[in-house]
Amino acid sequence: MQDPMAEIRATFFQECEEQLAALEAGLIAMESGASEAETVNAVFRAVHSMKGGAGIFSLDALVRFAHVFETALDKVRSGDLTATPRVVGIFLRAADVLADLVRAARDGGAVDEQRTAAMAAEFEHLDTPGDAVAPLAEDGVGSWEIVFSPRAELYAKANEAALLLRELGRLGEARVTLDTSRLPDLEAIDPEGAYLSWNISLQSDCDEAEIRNVFEFVEDDCELTISRAGVSGFAPGTVITGDNGFKFEFFAPMMEEEPEPEPAAIPATVQAEAAAEAPRNAVVEAIAAKAESATAVSATIRVDLDRVDRMIDLVGELVINEAMLSQRVMEAGIARASGVAMALEELEHLTREIQDSVMAIRAQPVRSVFQRMPRLVREVAAQTGKQVRLLTEGEGTEVDKTVIERISDPLTHMIRNAIDHGLETPEKRVAAGKPEEGTVKLTALHRSGRIVLEVADDGAGINRARVKQKAIENGVIGTDAQLTDDEIDNLIFLPGFSTAAKISDISGRGVGMDVVRQSVQALGGRISISSRPGLGSTFTLSLPLTLAVLDGMVVSARGHTLIIPLGAIVETLKPRGQDVFPLDRDTNLLALRGGYVPMVDVAASLGYCEELLEPEQGVALLVEGEGGVRAVLLVDAIHGQRQVVIKSLEANYRAVSGIAAATVMGDGRVALILDVDAVVRQARSEGNRVDAAAMEAS
Amino acid sequence: MMETLDLPPVLDLVAAPGLLEAFNVRRGQDLAVDASAVQRLGAQCLQILLAARAAWAADGQELGLKAPSTEFSAALELMGASPAQLTHQATTGHKEQAA
Repeated sequence: MQDPMAEIRATFFQECEEQLAALEAGLIAMESGASEAETVNAVFRAVHSMKGGAGIFSLDALVRFAHVFETALDKVRSGDLTATPRVVGIFLRAADVLADLVRAARDGGAVDEQRTAAMAAEFEHLDTPGDAVAPLAEDGVGSWEIVFSPRAELYAKANEAALLLRELGRLGEARVTLDTSRLPDLEAIDPEGAYLSWNISLQSDCDEAEIRNVFEFVEDDCELTISRAGVSGFAPGTVITGDNGFKFEFFAPMMEEEPEPEPAAIPATVQAEAAAEAPRNAVVEAIAAKAESATAVSATIRVDLDRVDRMIDLVGELVINEAMLSQRVMEAGIARASGVAMALEELEHLTREIQDSVMAIRAQPVRSVFQRMPRLVREVAAQTGKQVRLLTEGEGTEVDKTVIERISDPLTHMIRNAIDHGLETPEKRVAAGKPEEGTVKLTALHRSGRIVLEVADDGAGINRARVKQKAIENGVIGTDAQLTDDEIDNLIFLPGFSTAAKISDISGRGVGMDVVRQSVQALGGRISISSRPGLGSTFTLSLPLTLAVLDGMVVSARGHTLIIPLGAIVETLKPRGQDVFPLDRDTNLLALRGGYVPMVDVAASLGYCEELLEPEQGVALLVEGEGGVRAVLLVDAIHGQRQVVIKSLEANYRAVSGIAAATVMGDGRVALILDVDAVVRQARSEGNRVDAAAMEAS
Repeated sequence: MMETLDLPPVLDLVAAPGLLEAFNVRRGQDLAVDASAVQRLGAQCLQILLAARAAWAADGQELGLKAPSTEFSAALELMGASPAQLTHQATTGHKEQAA
């Protein structure tokens, strides 16, 4: 049986990921100027919830850091600290540290403690001139005087004054003065008595409720006096303007509601017993916040992914079954206008709808991937010394979860690449008359049943001369090769091609855009580039929306039914004898609009037969494989297009080279889905036969 | 030779009566308190340490503090006390009494 605690823990970390995303989204909104209370509250709540959860699991490092972070955020919330770009910048970096702490707590990894400590220390200096109240704090603003006298009951209930003082110290800078005036002689002392009391001067912008929270469980067992210190010189409403233009308005703490006859100087001295009001307010506030966030999430439920996948599988079966039933009905010679046929049509509609709805369950907005990018941009920008602004558009664009999981790496690489290679250094940008800060724009959109992701930079564009020279050096092209601009741009997708003169930590090391292209193609996607010198480059990724269904062309090759992914097909044609030129015994070339394209006999390449099909007897499909490499696939006949449910061959049988997956047709027979890239690659490299060993070696 | 009182690692509520007893039986003689093993110090034991210092000062006896552990020092600081508040030099004590 599963450990229930482990389950709760897993849920906590899942929630943390959501909170981290919300935190970052909120901070980014603040960065772009959104300062409304709701945004700040959302950010605060995110950190606060994580702290709360972490406390349950005794994740001390996380709790400690979340606490300082939360305290700083609370200052913004209470208006004591202005969310200047510098402050938000610090918050964003703190969010990164917090994310690391969460992940370290979850995966058991180590965190850079120095970084965490440095970050925590940075919070201390948030209040430096230009941002906040620090200069005034010296005058007493933000200071609290706390008198804490425990009674013996406090200790008897296993509470410890030292721990409370430590908690208090976490709220800010505490100066603790020990009062021993009630201490009796050693002879008279009761070892379980309580004779010490403390005067604490706390420099903190927290509110009284927060201080009371520290003493929440001991309020009945101590004398507690909390008062504002040092504000006596300023009546409520006094506005102080600092050298830096900062304004601070004095108000009477905790007393805004009622007109107060005395100035704010009157300490809000309240006996512990009588002070229930403030904590109660805090509790009400907390409940309200909780309810608010509950409303926000109540529209969703968490479902184990396995269950969704099982449902998708079943719906796939249903689609297949429905197709089979249709075929049986047709074979039985039932009239199209008959009730059975019409009911069947309705069933078909319904099945499609169910399929779409189920697919929609797995569909997720690309936001989760996009949200990781600001951090990446910050880090890469810091490493390269460039100034980068990331713009994102279309975060709400939905795509299947599997696709989401797998686009993160290629996108990461493309963005690194855009900053490292695409954008110029600030000096060069200024020299070129551009703003110092470069822009990288990440866009997602739906286009004709696919998702398109664009990474555009406003850098220098591809240095074509350099790319071409490099390609010649690497022996990729001949010295006299005549290439169009487009062809030169596409050279960067070749394996091992890196144009950065300096191999950098970020995108050098010879792992380049070819890796990106491979992973994109593995997803059934394509990548292309367009570049304008001096204006920047745009990489465009086009991916299928789901990996569970596929639009395919049903073809037959020597009696075998095959599916060719529609996305790969450029056009279909009927080859004429005079356009076919034999290259060798196994290979023909097809003359196509002034060029020659190798022709692949699909049946022969899959080993269905030895004999090649006479080109004139078959149908040719011009396909485009990876990197825009083209080939013509020769099949016996085309039977039409249809959407097929993809069944993994690896999972159900084993990997077969030349075959991407399988599906079940309406007649119940299994049809194989052709791996166009593999077949094309094979055709370009050696003979027509796809050989497993050769495939793996290539 | 001055007697040494080894403080236990945990000086919490439970340890307080024992600590008080330990001081009471050593009254009237110079004493060194060894705080090297202390991991935790609570307010109630601090009370006894403070009262003991007052008693030793009143008696004109020397009360020393040996090798306070980091935890011990940190707890003292947290509670606004200093090692100096726990020790008493016999000579100074006499002068004080004289004054």
